Amino acid sequence: MLTAAAPPPPHDTDPKSSARPGAPLVVEALAREGVDYVFGYPGGAIMPVYDALPGSRLKHVLVRHEQAAALAADAYGRVSGEPGVCLATSGPGATNLITGIANAFMDSVPMVAITGQVGTSLMGTDAFQEIDVFGVTLPIVKHSFIARSADEIPQIFAEAFALAKGGRPGPVLIDLPKDVTQASGPFPPSGPVPAPAGYAPPDAASMRAAEAMLRAARRPVLYFGGGIAIARAEAALRDFHDRTRIPAVATLKGLGGLPTEREDFLGMLGMHGTRAANTAVMESDLLICVGARFDDRATGKLDTFAPGAQVIHIDGDASEISKLRRANVALPGDIAAILTALDPGRLDIAAWRARCTQNAADWAFRYDAPGAGVYAPALLNELSRQAGDRFIATCDVGQHQMWVAQHCRFSRPQAHLTSAGLGAMGYGIPAGIGALFAEPDATVVTVTGDGSIMMNIQELATLRRYGLPLKIVLLDNAQLGMVRQWQELFYEQNFSEVDLYDNPDFAEVARAFGIEAFTVDRRDDVPGAIDRLLKTRGPILAHVRIDPAENVWPLVPPGKSNSDMMEAS
Amino acid sequence: MTCRIDIDFRPGEGAVLRLIGLVERRGFVVRAMNLPETRAGASARLTLDVAPRDAGRRVETVCAQLAKMYEVVAVNSAQPRALEAAS
Ligand SMILES: Cc1ncc(C[n+]2csc(CCOP(=O)(O)OP(=O)(O)O)c2C)c(N)n1
Ligand SMILES: [Mg+2]
Repeated sequence: MLTAAAPPPPHDTDPKSSARPGAPLVVEALAREGVDYVFGYPGGAIMPVYDALPGSRLKHVLVRHEQAAALAADAYGRVSGEPGVCLATSGPGATNLITGIANAFMDSVPMVAITGQVGTSLMGTDAFQEIDVFGVTLPIVKHSFIARSADEIPQIFAEAFALAKGGRPGPVLIDLPKDVTQASGPFPPSGPVPAPAGYAPPDAASMRAAEAMLRAARRPVLYFGGGIAIARAEAALRDFHDRTRIPAVATLKGLGGLPTEREDFLGMLGMHGTRAANTAVMESDLLICVGARFDDRATGKLDTFAPGAQVIHIDGDASEISKLRRANVALPGDIAAILTALDPGRLDIAAWRARCTQNAADWAFRYDAPGAGVYAPALLNELSRQAGDRFIATCDVGQHQMWVAQHCRFSRPQAHLTSAGLGAMGYGIPAGIGALFAEPDATVVTVTGDGSIMMNIQELATLRRYGLPLKIVLLDNAQLGMVRQWQELFYEQNFSEVDLYDNPDFAEVARAFGIEAFTVDRRDDVPGAIDRLLKTRGPILAHVRIDPAENVWPLVPPGKSNSDMMEAS
Repeated sequence: MTCRIDIDFRPGEGAVLRLIGLVERRGFVVRAMNLPETRAGASARLTLDVAPRDAGRRVETVCAQLAKMYEVVAVNSAQPRALEAAS
């Protein structure tokens, strides 16, 4: 939701305290924005800021790789709704942040990334640890600043925070040359922050047109995405769904917008969506797209997506409307306000609802796979149910990520933190760290793979350092499973560089970091493992060995229509 | 088919790079451009003649994407036909 940023309180102008280096201004500016946690890693060019940290109200979380700082800040931003803050030095510190900044950009997460930089006179001279991070990140930030003098710092920070969380959120970069954070002098107070333009109320004629289309529709589908979480619009979505009972499908980022078990909710659509969801979309005569963007993973082949449907597109970002699929009615603006005001009255959809519900029942996932080995979907389903409404899953990327999306129960959008747009292996554990700082009493479970965990395994040290009660479920198929699945299905079983037969003993690795760990091989041991995970107070890792040949079903082959779904043979 | 986009913007650090970069990244070729002298504090105007790289690119979309950038004050695009007639 877009709210005008409150003007910051005037900067302290007491002459005694106003002559000081720039770095304390950074710390003060962060405190003024209400920042509690900064995820970071020190180094040469950012040392003045680290010098100013002790004694401030900021709590710094020292990670073991800057990528983890950015990814933790991302998860913190998703859960709290406030910008997550990460901090790194110039050069390699800054480049290590980039995956995390890109992740926040792709998934519209509020973030402020702060980098040290070489002194202004050295910029552009290929100085030691000089990287033009401002230039490198231009395509993946909402905006960026270079502070050219210390007196700009308060204003830049105020604008950066307002921008990161206003409108469609995103990452904002602030590059701080070392001479600027070291400069001292009397600094002027920050001026007013340009408030982001508020949303205009929805166009009345478009609202009436949308309501008329809803009344005329016989096979409508509500297709919602990450815009619900961004706008914190789940209450409005649930209320609209209560009133209309339109069969609903979610994108990967939409999951949790409606609780998983809700009647008329058909699950996720798209490449690994449910048959019921994809079928409903294919057969629909009206799509009400809310906070979603017709992403290729959701639509499959775009020109055969919902071929008979008209489209009502509701989005907080007007530039998404008609970007990929022409909308018959465009409703840009405040998603929650639009959903609340949209009142089509009684709909004639009883037969359609019955058909969709029957499909969902007929094609429901089954958890009675044969064999004595661990069946990951069943484990995830049971774990999420037992964890209850405080459950937050953070995922890595691969088959295990899709199993989480398909089989876990989510009570709210913040219950599912996944690297959706970027699909970045390595997100899981840092995201678990960020989520636990944002919501310490949540039951945070990181579901990771044997490939993904190695991308940020050093963060086990961060869990240990802060005693974070993260529950890690490592689904070990000794494979880069998702790539193996594609090679099996689309590359004639030409398995190339996907076999991780030489993985370390992950339980031993975790113990070496000081983390409790155990290994699970048999289905019979799953109930005990879930119990142990949920009861343990500190960080814990369950190393779960699963069948390397297991695949994710259903699957829409890349470039195909959602109607061409493949199932397990 | 070339289309002309006029972008009024506040010329902060990196603004020109940001604008041209967005247009290119979003699937357009920049065929010509004009940027009269900018003055600190005053709004500047960048005029771009652009052509889509493929049929899927709509100038309305890239204009909407430009319009939401922080430095951008206003975006206007000339109808392609008007531009062809003029050239
Ligand atoms: C940083 C990064 N590198 C490569 C990929 C491509 N990729 C997608 S899934 C995958 C395999 C992941 O393996 P694992 O974590 O073991 O998960 P599994 O599929 O086996 O459950 C790879 C390599 C990626 N998404 N991210
Ligand atoms: Mg694996």
